[in-house]
Formats: sequence, structure tokens, C-alpha cells
Amino acid sequence: MKFSYNWLRELVPGLDSPPGDLASLITMKTAECEGIEAAGAPLDRACAARVEAVEPIPNSHHVKATVDAGRYGRVTVVCGAPNCRAGMIAAYAPVGRKTILGVESDGMLASAAELGINRDHSGVLELDEQVGAPLPGCVPDHIIEIDNKSITHRPDLWGHVGMAREVAAILGLRMRDPVRAARLPEGAAAIDVQIADFQLCPRYSALVFDNVTVRPSPLWLQYRLNAIGLNSINNIVDMTNYLMAELAQPMHAFDADLLHGGTIFVRPARGGEQLRALNGDQYTLEPANLVIADAAGAIALAGVIGGMESAIGPKTTRVVLESANFLASSVRKTSAALKLRTDASMRFEKAQDPANTVRALARAIELLEELSPGVRLVGGLADRKRETPPPPPIELPLAWLDRKLGRAIPAVEVRGILERLEFGVAESAAGVFSVTVPSWRATKDIAIKDDLVEEVGRMVGYATITPRAPLVPAAVPPPNPERRFQHDVRELFTALGFNEVYNYSFVSEDQARRFGLDPSCHVRVANPIASDQALLRASLIPGIWKNIAENLKHRDSFRLFEIGVEIHKRERGLPDEVAHLAAAVYERQGDGVAALFELKRAAECLMPGALVCPAEAGPAEGRPFEHPARAADLLWRGEKTGRLFELHPTLLETGRAAILDIDLRAVERLAAVEKKYAPVRRFPSSAFDLSVVAGERELAGKLQKRIAEFASPLVESIEFVRQYSGPPLAAGQKSVSFRVTAGSSERTLSSEEVAEIREQIIQGMRALGYELRV
Amino acid sequence: MQPDSIRQLEADLLARIAAATTTEELEAARVAAVGRKEGAFTQIAKEMGRLAPEDRRQFGMLLNAARQKVEEALEARKQAFADAVLRARLDAEWIDLTLPAPGPRRGHLHPITQIQRELEDLFISLGFAVLDGPEVETEYHNFDALNIPPDHPARDMQDTFWLEGGNLLRTHTSAVQVRGMEKLGPPLRMIAPGRAFRNESVDASHEHTFYQLEGMMVDRDVSVAHLLYFMKTLLTSIFGREATVRLRPGYFPFVEPGFELDIQCLICGGEGCPVCKQSGWVELLPCGLVNPNVLRMSGIDPEQWNGFAFGLGLTRLVMMRYGIDDIRQLQGGDLRFLEQF
Repeated sequence: MKFSYNWLRELVPGLDSPPGDLASLITMKTAECEGIEAAGAPLDRACAARVEAVEPIPNSHHVKATVDAGRYGRVTVVCGAPNCRAGMIAAYAPVGRKTILGVESDGMLASAAELGINRDHSGVLELDEQVGAPLPGCVPDHIIEIDNKSITHRPDLWGHVGMAREVAAILGLRMRDPVRAARLPEGAAAIDVQIADFQLCPRYSALVFDNVTVRPSPLWLQYRLNAIGLNSINNIVDMTNYLMAELAQPMHAFDADLLHGGTIFVRPARGGEQLRALNGDQYTLEPANLVIADAAGAIALAGVIGGMESAIGPKTTRVVLESANFLASSVRKTSAALKLRTDASMRFEKAQDPANTVRALARAIELLEELSPGVRLVGGLADRKRETPPPPPIELPLAWLDRKLGRAIPAVEVRGILERLEFGVAESAAGVFSVTVPSWRATKDIAIKDDLVEEVGRMVGYATITPRAPLVPAAVPPPNPERRFQHDVRELFTALGFNEVYNYSFVSEDQARRFGLDPSCHVRVANPIASDQALLRASLIPGIWKNIAENLKHRDSFRLFEIGVEIHKRERGLPDEVAHLAAAVYERQGDGVAALFELKRAAECLMPGALVCPAEAGPAEGRPFEHPARAADLLWRGEKTGRLFELHPTLLETGRAAILDIDLRAVERLAAVEKKYAPVRRFPSSAFDLSVVAGERELAGKLQKRIAEFASPLVESIEFVRQYSGPPLAAGQKSVSFRVTAGSSERTLSSEEVAEIREQIIQGMRALGYELRV
Repeated sequence: MQPDSIRQLEADLLARIAAATTTEELEAARVAAVGRKEGAFTQIAKEMGRLAPEDRRQFGMLLNAARQKVEEALEARKQAFADAVLRARLDAEWIDLTLPAPGPRRGHLHPITQIQRELEDLFISLGFAVLDGPEVETEYHNFDALNIPPDHPARDMQDTFWLEGGNLLRTHTSAVQVRGMEKLGPPLRMIAPGRAFRNESVDASHEHTFYQLEGMMVDRDVSVAHLLYFMKTLLTSIFGREATVRLRPGYFPFVEPGFELDIQCLICGGEGCPVCKQSGWVELLPCGLVNPNVLRMSGIDPEQWNGFAFGLGLTRLVMMRYGIDDIRQLQGGDLRFLEQF
């Protein structure tokens, strides 16, 4: 929302803070100021001037004009405007001398756009003034821009009067209210109004005028609207926009001669009802849209936009001027459904004050007399409304107020602040104020005593409150073991050399399919930014793959990991969010084996004793992104907790990447086991090695498990030592060596006992058909 | 047999020991001196029987002294040789320690993780629970329960990713406030760091995915003065020096009164510079006293309890702390960026 500094000064006599200071005050006390811009700077010394003679400049469409510029004397100006001609009175701006097309030009003949009056730059601005006279009502201004978000709750601040009221309260001045309610006509209205639902339209007021002349607005009005970002259309439309910017009350003017019948209906649209709006677009309406209608059909979309059929045009002589109030949520729904946001809908959705409709009409009478001389009111005020009792006063205990703010504020100061903001204050009990809310703050903004804390706090200044630690019982906060565990995992992986990355929660359908996931199992975004961000990730691997593909452009070798949630769709309710770790090791050179074992080691650091279980029956189904011969499930404490694999080599431009994917929710749960002390063995253990000859692709882990099946309870550990293939072993065979350690907590084992343990294993393995090299 | 001849023998043997340059020569000298068969001392000892008993005692003492001296010399020389051998071995083991250590370097935690952990530690020490909420939220937790009903214009403040089925990606970690109140009940102190989403296009200063840290305290008499205390403590801790803050009005439906908290510009100290757009202040976080409607909706009686809440932008904070000028770097996964933290 843009505010004109000059306009505010007109409304607050005595306001003399410079624009910058005023903006800072507003920021600290009311709403955030985003910036200040100068408007109409060239108007500073501009005046009306007569073009006395015009002489063409060869080889250009410019002319050399001799101009009587009043107090600036007779000057020569180079001008390129097509309407520049001898005898005209034009706007002259003394902007300095410069040579143009070889001619020294002193100042300029300016277009309305150059002066900031409107957006017309088709020619120099023609005036109807005495030579040397300033442009009437047009002086340089400053535009203070307020962040719309910060006035979402303040319907009154969508007009200059509301801001003027704030400024007056801040500075201890009085606002001059431009409205003279006495101007409203008495007597029967010339038009009837029927409201179908007072909930949707609490008030509809209107006046009828005739003898209207539609013509361009005077310069001062064009300038004022242009300065705050509104287009000048004609005097009638500009008047409604001016009042919207002044009083925050959107209005609409209908050409009375284009209406059917003498009644205005405010009703829900009929299903499929059509309206061609002022923006030229055709809308098909539904009953959820509130319309203004005449006997023939919809003529405007209530609170949003007017219709083309009844629009003010050059021939208009009779006008119905609407000033109404509509239910905020209804306007907002319609505006959102039709994707049509207007200056009017933006204001109505903030819940405007129904008392304001007739104020705007009273002001319109005065303005129209100036803008369309000879205009006549026809009949009295049409004014339909639901009578609602004023909201009850708010009880404000002053001690409570002090406790909320954390500082004491004298009662007299509280009263002063509230009264300056035009609240009514009465002392209903000792130390309790009964506060009456003015109508323009009562629609949504101020309803409870907490709202008054803000009024007092901001005006007294939050800087006057001293930071203070609260007095609360010392208590240990409840723990968050999941988060703590994830932090531990992060520490572990960075210590192991992995760098943490963050990836987006979105994936595309293609990515999902590429990584073996069915797009229909994903949660889908209804309004994605782009089609490739339409699904929520059900795996961290697509993101990790992208990280690898990007980083291999710069690095020969790297390690990275991410901790994030997989989001799995559920039939009902919120999706299941499962924390996962995905880690990767990339090597441009080599056979990729070291990377896989590095990740295996990392997994074992996280899950001591975890088992790596490769698929026994060939490549895993539906996992086309895995190297088919290098992939395995991870099992820990009897549950599947993750997967270790090499990325399918075709997914990378060059090099190999090993990937570890772990379900942290499961691991965190399984990690919680109680630790128990066992005494350290006092008697020495004995160890012996065994080598098993097996097929080349038999898993060492499986052989070890077999050995364990034949091991006596005295066996403490079976450890892999080495493996060998080559002569004298037959092709396709390997020898795998294990070290078996046995011992007892009660005695040193005799050599006979150890030999018996060993023999038992050998016999067992041989019975399974394995050859043993001992 | 004269005492002089013993002195002479001693001198000869010591000279020979001193002259030995190898362990072999030293061994030969040892055999010559104290060898059990041929050694000079052995020979002399054999001849001692021939001496008069009165001389024998004195001569024996002389002989033992000489022998002890020679043996000490032998031992010292032997040790010297061993020392030299050890020195030579150690010298041969010289390595160039400026060579790089094998194996991967330590990895780096994401800068947002780092700042988040600092803040978690700080707030835990102040008695706050650290809570988590889902990234996919219900409309109720994200909006309605925070006093933002449907068709409220405040919904425009947060462009929302809606999901099929009516849920949404949380637009702020404030949704966890509601879960915190449901879970803990009053009194409570909690923070909730995490990922939030807004449906806006990405450029150097806008992201659809970012990180926030929500904070909330509910107790008997929580005031603006308390809020200010925690904010000042928080920012002083983050920036490692006394932070000056100010509150100004800000509108957020879940707080009343609501504030924007500004921090005095750390670059210029409030004098005005390009970072603070010459204002001396940088807008940092929205906060306020919890709106009684919000408490009521989560089953807390606002006549008995009240509180404050704040929402700190972690992404923004990280960018400020390290002077990062492109927000996209944070989710870009580029190790050349991430390894700097």
C-alpha cells in the first residue's frame, strides 16, 4: 500500500516530520515501511509556458521552440513531441541546459508522464493556465510504501485516513476528518436495494446522480492517483478510486441508463451465470459468488470487479454510485476461485467497516461537485443494512497489562494512548478499564484484551521494556532420543570422512521409476513448482545419485551422506516419514571394491555385528539402479535395516559409486540394548586355523556360519583370516582360512580338548562335502 | 710379579678396548683380558699362588681393582657400540612427515546442521525440549490451530504446497507448536528446528525449501520482557557478542501482540551500511506473545497460562553468519561449497 506524504499532511494539520522520520515512526509503532520514493520531482519548478515559435531541425523530427516561460524568461527548447506547435500553452520544466542535435536547449517542454502526473507520454502536456503559473495542485511528493503483509489485520490502514489517524496518535496531533456526514441527502431513495443475505452483504448504500459529465480528471487528481500507483480513467472512476485510497472504502459507479429496472439486487450468482467484467474477461459464475444484479442479470461481482455492460462511458449522464460492505471470506473465496485480485477485493478481504459506506458517499457528493460541475443528486440515500449491536467493551485489567508487557505503565498513560487511537475508555472498577473499540477497528482487528496489549505496547514503545529472565522451576527437558541418535550418526560419518549434504524433498516421476519406485506410492504435490518436482521423495537415493553425478565433474574421489526422511504414502492420514541415512563413496579409478568395503565398515561402526546378506538368487527384482552382482541387504539384530550396493555403472558417466542406505528409525530402536559386564577371562585361550576349499562364489560369511554350527560351546570366536585361489587349487575353487579361538572361564583347555574341538569341525565340514586344508 | 706390571697390563687392556672399532675386535679384547682360559687376568690369578701369603692379599686387591676397571671399560664400550647400532637403525628409519596422511579427511557437517546444534545445545541448557514434527502436515496443525482459518488473508503470507488428499508441506515450523502443546501440556518450553516449504520460485535469495527454528514458552506469567531476554541471549550466543535487539509491530495471527525483531547491524554497528540498507538494523525473526485462541485450540486455558513464541530462520542466519550470497548453495550438494564449513 502506497501512501502520499502530501495527502497525509493534508489530513494531519501540523505534521512536519520529514518523510524519512515519519516512515521510521510508522515502522516502529504501526506497520513496516518498505521504502520511500520521490514522486513528481520535476514539478518542483514547472510552470505553464507559451510556445511562441517553432522551427524544424533539419534531418530530425524534433523542433526548436521559442518559449515564453514566465519568470524563467524567453528560452529555446528542443522538443520532439508531435503536438508541439506555436501558440500552445504547455508545461515547462527548467531542468538545465544541454545541447541536443546541435542546438542548446534550456529546460524542457514536458509530457504528463515526465512530470509524474499520469502515464501519457504521447506529447507535451497542454495546459489551460496563465503563462508562468504553477501546475495547479501538483507539487513534488514522497510516497511511503507500507508492506501489505504488515497491515493484513488493519482494514483501516488501507486508506489514507486510517494512516493519518495513526500518525496523529503517534505525534499527539489531531486528524482532520475529510468527511462531512451532513452532506448526505434526506428523503426517499431513487433506487431500491434488495439484499438476499445480510451475512454476505451486511450493508449496501447507494446514491443516484444525474447531469453527470464524464471527462478527464483535473491534473491534481490524476497526479495523486498516479503517485500511489493507480491509473487515471475518467473523473467518475477516478473519484471512486480516490475515495478508496482515502477512506479504504471501495466503490463502484454504474451508468444508471444501462441498468434494467429500478432495483439493485445483491444475491448469490445463479449456476452458470455470465459476467463480462471491466477487465474484458468473461466469467462463468457459481452460487458461491456473490453478485450485484439488476432485473436482467449480474452487473458486478460483489466486492471484486464491475461489469462491462453497465460501465461508465463518455456518454454517461446518470450514475448509480455503490458503496457497500461485503463479508471478507466470501470476497476472498470468489477472488481466489476466479484468480481475480483487485484493489477492491484486497480491501474487502481484510473485513472493512460497514459504517464507512455512507461516509464515502457523503464525501463523494462533495468531490463530484468539483469534478463534474452541475451534477445533481436524485432522491435520498439508499441504505440497506443489518442492524447489529456494537461489540461489548473490552475489560482491561491494568495489572494484567503490566504483567503481559513486563513493565508498569501508569493508568493515565494507558488511557492517553487508547484515547488518542479513538478508543473509548471508562474505569469500570479499580484498576480496570472498560474499553470501547471504534467501528473501524472492531471488524476483526480488536476483539480481546490481548489486542489492547499491542495498542498500548507499540505506542509506549517496546524499547522501554527491559529484558528479564523468567523465574521458573529448574527442570530437565524431556529428551529426544531420535534426534540425538541422528546427531551421533552425523558425527560418526563426518569422522569417517563423509560430507553432509541436504537434498530437496521433491522428485520427478522419472527419477522415481529410475530408482525402482512406483510413482503411485508417492505423495503427490497438487500445485508443484515444476512437473519434475511433483512427488515427495520416498527414497534418498535419487538425490544422492544427483550429488554424485554433479560432484564427479570436479572430484576424482569423494564421500558424502544425507540424513533425511523418506515420505511414504498411506491409505489415510499423514504419510509415514522414516528417517534414513544415505551415504556414498565415489572413486573415478579402480574396481570399486574398496568403496564397498569402506561403506561396509561404516555400517558396522553404526551397527556392530551387522550381517551383510547378498541376494542368493541373482540380481534383486525391481532394483535396476544396483550393480546386480554387488548388492546386499544389511541385517542387524534380526531385522533388515538397510542396503549396501554399487550404483549400476551405467548410471554414471565415469567411475564407480558405492551406496549405503540405512533405516535410522529401525537402527535407533534396535540400538537400545542394555550393556552387561562379563568378567575378563583369567585363563588363556587357544587358537587354530582351518582352511575350507569351496566354490569361487561361495560366501565366506556362509562358510563361517557353517563352521559355527559345528563349534563346541567353548569356541569364543571364528574369524576370517584370508582367502586364496590358484594352483594347486582347481580352477573355480578357492580356499578360505579361518582362525578359531576356544577357551574356558574356568580353566586352561588341554591340548586334547582343543584337538577334539578342531576335529569336530573338520568332520562336520567334511560331512557337508567340503575339503579342508589343515 | 710386580704391582707395576699389573698397572701396565691394565693400561694395555684399556688401550686395546678403546681402540676396538668393531664388536669382533672388542670381543677379542675381552677374551684377551678376562677370557676364562687365555685371559690375562686368569693367567695372573693362576700365578698368585706363588706369592708370599703376606703379599698375596695386597696383590689380590690390586688385581681385582684392575679387573673391575677393565670390565667396566668393556661394558661401556659394548654399550657404545649398541647405541651406535640403534642410532644407525633409527636414522635409517627417517621418513618425510610432510607427506599427506592416507585415508579420507574428516568430513564436514552441513552449516545448517552446525548452527542448529549450537542452538539446540543452548536451548536445552535453558530447559527447553527439542521437538520434531512431520514435514507433511495437516491443514489444522499448520493453519487452523494457529488462528489462521480458511479464507483468512494471512494465508497469503505463506504460499503453500498442497498435497493430493488435502494435507500440505508445512509452511513453517510453527506447526510443531501445536504438536508441542498437545504432547507436553503447560507449562512448557520447547524448540523445533526443521525443514519448511513455501511455493515460490527459486533464485539467489528465494528458496522453496528452508530451515527454521520455532521456539515457544508457556507458563503462568510470560511477558514481553521475558521474550526479549531469550531473544537477546539467543542472538548473543549465535553471533558471539552482545546483540542489541529491538521489537516493532508485526502481524502474525498466532501471536498477539506480534513483533518483528530486528538486530542492530553487526557489520556497521548501527551506523548504516549496504547490508542493513543504511537503516542500522536487520530484520531477523518474527515473534510475539501466544494468541489466546492458539492456546485455547490446543486445550490450554489462556486465563491460567500464557506464553511467547518465535520463529528463527536458520537458513537466513547461516547466510548472515558466513556471508553466503546465494541461498541455492545450501541444497546444491556441491562439495566445493560444503567443505568450507
